[in-house]
Amino acid sequence: MKVKIKKWNAVASWRWDVPEDDVCGICRVQFDGTCPNCRFPGDDCPLLVGKCGHSFHLHCVNDWIQTESSRGLCPMCRQKFEFVAE
Amino acid sequence: MFHAKRLQKELSKIHQGLPPGIHLVAANDFQEWQMDIEVLDENPLYHGKTYRLNFKFSSNYPIEAPEVMFIRATDRDIPMHPHIYSNGVICLDLLSSGNGWSPVQSVESVCMSIQSMLTGNTKNERPEGDDQFVLRTNRSLRNIRFVYDDPTV
Repeated sequence: MKVKIKKWNAVASWRWDVPEDDVCGICRVQFDGTCPNCRFPGDDCPLLVGKCGHSFHLHCVNDWIQTESSRGLCPMCRQKFEFVAE
Repeated sequence: MFHAKRLQKELSKIHQGLPPGIHLVAANDFQEWQMDIEVLDENPLYHGKTYRLNFKFSSNYPIEAPEVMFIRATDRDIPMHPHIYSNGVICLDLLSSGNGWSPVQSVESVCMSIQSMLTGNTKNERPEGDDQFVLRTNRSLRNIRFVYDDPTV
């Protein structure tokens, strides 16, 4: 019997490359979920990995860094928060 | 919105269990919570006593620090400590936006810090200028700017 493929659909899944149950320290939502203000995970609500090794939702850490009281420091280790350019 | 979702997460975790000596008293909304803390070692200043903390959250929590102070209630007094005023105001850098506060802190971590601040204390005294401070603290807590000059306590 010969089978002729007329049509096929591909399905892919993705995850951020972080431990599965890791949560963003600021909003406490899993990294695979969104920050509290977003609806769709992924490129619309990305993660930011600091040079110090600490990760947050971009939107969460941005809220913090924009405040004067943050003095630009990582919420976890209080080193200057600089992120790794991908 | 942000603060309600974050506090809901904290509440679920609190319902799963808290560290020894820390108890949830009331969390009826996302504006104000009360927590009880006990000092667990044999420190004679606090032995057998329980103290009550009041947390006030702004809609910008946890980017902004909560207002945290001791409050009086039945069987709940204000603990004696050289950094705790007799009206319950606590002078602690991590409670101050712009000093030690960080948005990865939580109600639980703040309670643990205050618990250890009591555990390590041996001085049965109030801060210098307590009387005057209490008299003029009709202002909002947020307007108080402490100078953190004592790294030893």
